Parts: sequence; C-alpha cells; structure tokens
Amino acid sequence: MQSKSSFRDPSGFIFIQKDGIYRQINNNYKMHYDHLMNSGLYSTLIEQGLLIPHEEVNSSIATQHNDLYKVIKPQVIPFISYPYEWSFNQLKDAALLTLGIQKIALEYGMTLKDSSAYNVQFYNGKPVFIDTLSFELYNEGNPWVGYRQFCQHFFAPLALMSKSDIRLNQLLRVYLDGIPVDLASNLLSFKTYFNWSILAHIHLHAKSQKRYGNKNINTEKINNRMKKEYLIALIDSLESSIKKLHWEPKNTEWADYYNDTNYTENGVQHKKQIVEQFLAKVNPKTVWDIGGNVGIFSRLASDKGIPTICFDIDPAAVDKNYLEVKKRNEKNLLPLLLDVTNPSPNIGWENEERESLLSRCRSPVDMVFALALIHHLVISNNIPFDKISSFFGKISKYLLIEFVPKEDSQVQRLLSTRKDVFPQYTRDHFERVFSTNFEIVESQKIADSQRVLYLMLNHNFALS
Amino acid sequence: MKNKRHLFLLYIDPGSGSLILQIVLGFIAAIATFFKLFWSRIKMIVGKLFSKKTSDE
Repeated sequence: MQSKSSFRDPSGFIFIQKDGIYRQINNNYKMHYDHLMNSGLYSTLIEQGLLIPHEEVNSSIATQHNDLYKVIKPQVIPFISYPYEWSFNQLKDAALLTLGIQKIALEYGMTLKDSSAYNVQFYNGKPVFIDTLSFELYNEGNPWVGYRQFCQHFFAPLALMSKSDIRLNQLLRVYLDGIPVDLASNLLSFKTYFNWSILAHIHLHAKSQKRYGNKNINTEKINNRMKKEYLIALIDSLESSIKKLHWEPKNTEWADYYNDTNYTENGVQHKKQIVEQFLAKVNPKTVWDIGGNVGIFSRLASDKGIPTICFDIDPAAVDKNYLEVKKRNEKNLLPLLLDVTNPSPNIGWENEERESLLSRCRSPVDMVFALALIHHLVISNNIPFDKISSFFGKISKYLLIEFVPKEDSQVQRLLSTRKDVFPQYTRDHFERVFSTNFEIVESQKIADSQRVLYLMLNHNFALS
Repeated sequence: MKNKRHLFLLYIDPGSGSLILQIVLGFIAAIATFFKLFWSRIKMIVGKLFSKKTSDE
C-alpha cells in the first residue's frame, strides 16, 4: 500500500508492506540516485548520522512496476512526529540539519530539491534526514529551488517563535507547506525590519514574491545567474541567521512553571520509587508520558533503555526537556508538544497526509503515564472521568495514573477562580468509572500528600 | 559532468520572487564573506606585526 503522505514527488514513493516500509525509486530519478550512492555523498551523510540508512532490496516486492528503477528499505523510525509537535530548539536543529546537508551535498555536486521540515524526524535523540530522494544533481548557476520552502518551513516559524510568540509554531498545523512569508511579515513587529536576516528572508522575501509573483520571468536567465559561491554564501548566512535566533522562557507567562509544585522532597522521592516499582512490574517495551513536563518521570523509563515519548502542552517544558536530551546525549527519550485535550488531527490531502496522534498509535502503548494530569483535565477543561478513561483505554495497555483529590492545594488553586461544579470528583467515583476500561492492579498513596498512584491494566489485555 | 546540464526535477514551485531575491541575497552574502575574510586577514597581519615588535623589544 502506498503511504498516504508520499505522493507529491515523482521521483518515487514510500509503500508499506507487512514486514516493513519500502521506498520505490522511479526511472526518472536513476541518474540522481546513482550519483548519490556512487559519489560518496551517501556514505558521508551516513557516517555523520545525518541521513537515514537504507538497503537495496529485490524490486520484485514493488507494487507499481511501471517506471520502476529500484526498491530500497530504509531503517524504520519508531514514531513519526511533525513540526507542529516540536519545540523551538527541535525545529531549529532540524533547520540546521537541512542546511548542513545542503552544504555537504554541494561538495559532492548535488543539491536538495526541496527543504520540507517533514523530511526530518527525531531518532535516537537527534534530528535525521529521512527523504533519500531529496537529492538532485547540481547545475552550476542554478539558484536553490528549496529556498522558498526553507523560509516557510523553518525560518518564518523560528523567527515568529523567537520574536513574536512561541505559540505561533501552531500555524504549521494550518499551513502544511510552511508559513507563507507574507503572513510572517505581517505578524512580525516593525522592530524586526532592523534585523538584517529577518528583513532579507521574510520582509523583502514577501515583497519580492508580491512583485514577481504574477510576472512572466525568463527562468533560463535566472538559472544561470546564481554562482556557486553566491549559493554557498547564502546557505552560510542562513545558517548563521538561524543560529542567532533564540528563545528563552524568561519573562513569559511560562516563567514560573518550574518552581510551582507542592510536593515535599520526601513526597517526590516516594513518587519516583512507586513509579520504579510499577515499571519493574510491567517491564514495558514502550512508554508514553502524557503531561510529562520536563521529563523527570519519563527518564525513570528511558534511562532503562525503554523508548519513551514525553508529551507536554508547555513549549518551555518541552524545549527544556529536549535541551537536556541533547546535553545528556539520550537516545531513548523524545519530547513532543501536545495539547491532550486537542491532539494533532488527521490533516492534509483527503485528511490522510499527516496522521492524528491516535492514528499513529497503531496499537495501545505498553505503558502510559498520566501523572498530576487528571485535575487539569477534569477541573480546568471540564472533561468527565468516563471520557478520560475511554481515551486512555484506546492508547494504553497499562496505565499509571495519579489521582489528585480535591483537598490537594493544586486542585484548590484551580477551583479558586471558578464555581465547583464537580461533586463527583472523588476517589471512589474515579475508581468506579475507570473500572469500565481498566482493572486496578495496585494503588499506593504518595507520602506527605493526599495523592494516590494507580497501576491499571486495560480490560482488552486482561487475559493475555 | 561539468558542462552537462541536468534535468531540473523541480516538483515544487521555487517561486520567481524567491529565486530573484536569493540571487541578490547570495550576491550580498558573498561580498560580506569576502570582506569578513579580508578583515580577518588584516587583523592577522596587524597582530603578527605587533607580536614581532614586542618580541623585538
């Protein structure tokens, strides 16, 4: 079956078989693929860990034999994430990876024919380029075809996140081919006109598009004008401009987040101990930590070599977590941005091009953490217990969930600004409702608090 | 290979405004690189002269 997200590029496409993921290469890409493999570019990129490795397989496996040149089997990325689920530094690193690859490609007489952020995935704690068919032979004099796309997919969102508002990365969810530069130009403040790189790649870019957008241009003439040294200088300047873009959670609404907990040191240690015990009991192959903040509890799993995804709604927490992953060179933890009350939907062509969170959860995850989350869902978002239980029933085999009772100061804080319309927010009712989807395996009270940790097993897996 | 021109795969629209702009920006960046290099060489030469002088003294 052809992958629903792989149909735009005529050079080939991804198809999925029972035993894995394959990529068909069409005849029109032969010359480019052969150069990629024979020039030493492929091996250089693989040695540096920048490109996903693949092996060539017997092409009899192909599903469409017209125009077939070869079939390759790329290494599988366990979880596909999207740019609107990445934090500032994740998107920045993906941008720098793209530019770095473009520079190396030029040394080997090739260039990137597109620069979509969807060509990058996070694997083993690092961004890696996954589109083997993005390379084409470079003709001296040609400008970079992917420049517009690079500005839309990377430069514009990073500039908006850095200079306007961190939440503007969510525009990537609406604009699948990146944020149009004229929109970015409108959203950026007047001050950014004095920043050379933003002036050049966003404001002047938008004006140039407006001016030449509907005009017939002699492309033959343009295609001879960009000397190689200009192109390299452009890529270098884009690289240094991206490196100069920063975002710090300081002085923002997210600033106080990290100091805002009400556990005693003893309570935190005890909570960690219980999570460790439950982990040992379940011995999961994968863990998802929903609302995992900076990943303190995710690391109890990932440090044991368990592939773990830590989702959080707070861009500051996700970014802090990612920087920690980089610093500690962690391979098993993937921090991602997610609003669990409105998870990533199915979008793009026929609503199938980019998958929703639930569609990417092919089968329930071995173990899901929902720590200090339930009160946010019920009290702040008015989501009843049965809806929460049903959601976790879809995504988890084992559920490790923390119940935070009404007496808890955090719940009191949430209730302080609103009417308490939650008479059923009790431990008894919580247990009763969750029992429709789960069997309660064990529960333990956390020291120095009213909170309780539950280990639950999904009824669908109770007998296996 | 050098004089042979290859088929442009061009499956995405590069945008004529984006193409024209990048040629201008590439040109400016190349000039900037040239001056940066020039300046760092001058600094190097001046630095060497000074270190010579101090070692002579």
